[in-house]
Amino acid sequence: MQGKSRFLKITAFLGFAFLYAPIISLVIFSFNESKLVTVWGGFSTKWYAELFRDPQILEAAWVSAKIAFVSATLAVTVGTVASFVLIRFSKFRAKSLLSMMITAPLVMPEVIIGLSLLLLFVAMEGLIGWPGSRGVLTIIIAHATFGAAYAAVVIQSRLVDMDLSIEEAAQDLGAKPVRVFFDVTLPVIAPALVSAWLLAFTLSLDDLVVASFVSGPGASTLPMVIFSKVRLGVSPDVNALATIIIGLVSLGIIVTALHMNRSKRNL
Amino acid sequence: MSEGQLTTDAKPWADPNATPFLQIKNITKKFGAFVAVENVSLDIYKGEIFCLLGGSGCGKSTLLRMLAGFETPTSGQIIVDGQDQAGIPPYARPTNMMFQSYALFPHMTVEKNIAYGLKRDGLPKNEIATRVTEMLSLVQMDQFAARKPHQLSGGQRQRVALARALVKKPKLLMLDEPLGALDKKLREETQFELIKIQESLGVTFVVVTHDQEEAMTLSSRIGVMTAGEIIQTGTPHEIYEYPQSRFVADFIGSVNMFEGRVIEDGKDHVVISSKELGGDIYVPHGISGVEGQKMAVAVRPEKVRISRTDLGEMRNKVSGTIDEIAYMGNSSVFQVRLDSGKRVRVSQSNLTRDDDDALRWDDKVWVGWADDAGVVVAS
Ligand SMILES: Nc1ncnc2c1ncn2[C@@H]1O[C@H](COP(=O)(O)OP(=O)(O)OP(=O)(O)O)[C@@H](O)[C@H]1O
Ligand SMILES: [Mg+2]
Repeated sequence: MQGKSRFLKITAFLGFAFLYAPIISLVIFSFNESKLVTVWGGFSTKWYAELFRDPQILEAAWVSAKIAFVSATLAVTVGTVASFVLIRFSKFRAKSLLSMMITAPLVMPEVIIGLSLLLLFVAMEGLIGWPGSRGVLTIIIAHATFGAAYAAVVIQSRLVDMDLSIEEAAQDLGAKPVRVFFDVTLPVIAPALVSAWLLAFTLSLDDLVVASFVSGPGASTLPMVIFSKVRLGVSPDVNALATIIIGLVSLGIIVTALHMNRSKRNL
Repeated sequence: MSEGQLTTDAKPWADPNATPFLQIKNITKKFGAFVAVENVSLDIYKGEIFCLLGGSGCGKSTLLRMLAGFETPTSGQIIVDGQDQAGIPPYARPTNMMFQSYALFPHMTVEKNIAYGLKRDGLPKNEIATRVTEMLSLVQMDQFAARKPHQLSGGQRQRVALARALVKKPKLLMLDEPLGALDKKLREETQFELIKIQESLGVTFVVVTHDQEEAMTLSSRIGVMTAGEIIQTGTPHEIYEYPQSRFVADFIGSVNMFEGRVIEDGKDHVVISSKELGGDIYVPHGISGVEGQKMAVAVRPEKVRISRTDLGEMRNKVSGTIDEIAYMGNSSVFQVRLDSGKRVRVSQSNLTRDDDDALRWDDKVWVGWADDAGVVVAS
């Protein structure tokens, strides 16, 4: 028993070390004075300062944030509608087909999503002249597409759990269906909507592959800029940027987790 | 039990000229091939507290949900106050319902939950506040007004659900198992409150319960349901003393049932010979049977007399041995094994505190009942 538990502890430790050692070393080296990425030259925050003086990075961060914000909002809207259709409308034929289709992007390779969207945009441009050029708009559409799939999964699980009789009670007390939706349904599924939005937002910030496919010359997202910088050799300011992103993402995860915990107790 | 009657003596259902407030006409509800409610017809009058009594899964909730508009009847008609309810959505019906699952809004405080229906009616703020406060004190939830439902106990939630349904003072109020989770004292208090509300507001109640005692004390009339059908409707007294079927006799209170065959069909009486009893049962009036017909006689335990000595003049009597005695405080229940082998339940009020001459286990006794104490039910 004793030996077994020690073995488990060691395995767990090694596993976590494997996962987090690179991240920790990245964070440490972002405070490195030296220009050489692998040699420690003393503590400094100069790479952070440099980062904030780099217009390309700042521009890309702004573009990424905009795209993530808009696409996450779209994804949650589409995901909510899809979830309602799937959970609440009992009788329609294409239901299981639609259910499969909405979750397909979860398992589809990103390369294929990117490629197919690119082909779609090109074809649409030829047929109806919209979207005129590829750039921020096409990335938003692309991100909203796969973000909606994730959002739908999160929202559906909440809708399934929701007690339908509280909506009936609201109706019984004199609320018309639209009122019921805003007074009862929406507040009850709100935690799921927030989680779905945060998830879609993070996925959009993260995405390199799909964005690279559907982007045009004018629009580079942060991951695209980082990737192109790294190809020219790893510079320490990328470490600094990565550290900031890790910080933001961790914060986001903690906030979401706390939020989910609270709302679970509220249920 | 039948003495517990709390409601007034008016009997609109006995008046052929009275118009029912709620008319249910041949309602049937099928879920696929499964028939949940079968051909139910009911007339309920203004100011009644009508109890639907029946076992689990017999279709009580489904019937209420059709009245509230959440289920569409497969066939039949529902008329409230002269208005056919078909096609009227739940939010436009003059009814309110208290849900079996309470269905409180989890994101609203107790106070907001209760106020919700009044807000939808567009009442002025100060009136909403007064009525909510009134309701809160009625259900004794004043000090929990600011809590959310998940911070309440089961019984407290039930009280909030009750308050939320009551506060709108609807014409027809439907309560699905309204008092199930309350303790005895609070339940009795709330029963009185319900009756007070009914008397002061003239609200008509349809109450679902599977607690027969509650149905007895609360209701003006009871409808006994089983397997989707209403098999008997009547006042608590009628249901208890004149059950029309074995099921009703068995379901309401406890009963001794003796099966037998008619051996004599006189002008003013029938004699039934029962092997089970090991004797003949004399039934004075009210029924007629053909000789040889199978019948069952139901006798309530409290109507059976028990004695060490012969019961004299009594026509319906047999002897047996006491098998078991259960002391219940206000009464004692005896299980008597008759010479025929059948066990009979007899209950007797404990009139004195200590009885030196009390019956004991294995005593040889006579049990018997008056001619009119038994009820003949369809076998
Ligand atoms: N939506 C539904 N689909 C299929 N069957 C249903 C549905 N709703 C109820 N039933 C069935 O109809 C029957 C009656 O249900 P109902 O809820 O009316 O019972 P009940 O008398 O209220 O029982 P309880 O005392 O346990 O609440 C049950 O057998 C139930 O399984
Ligand atoms: Mg029920």
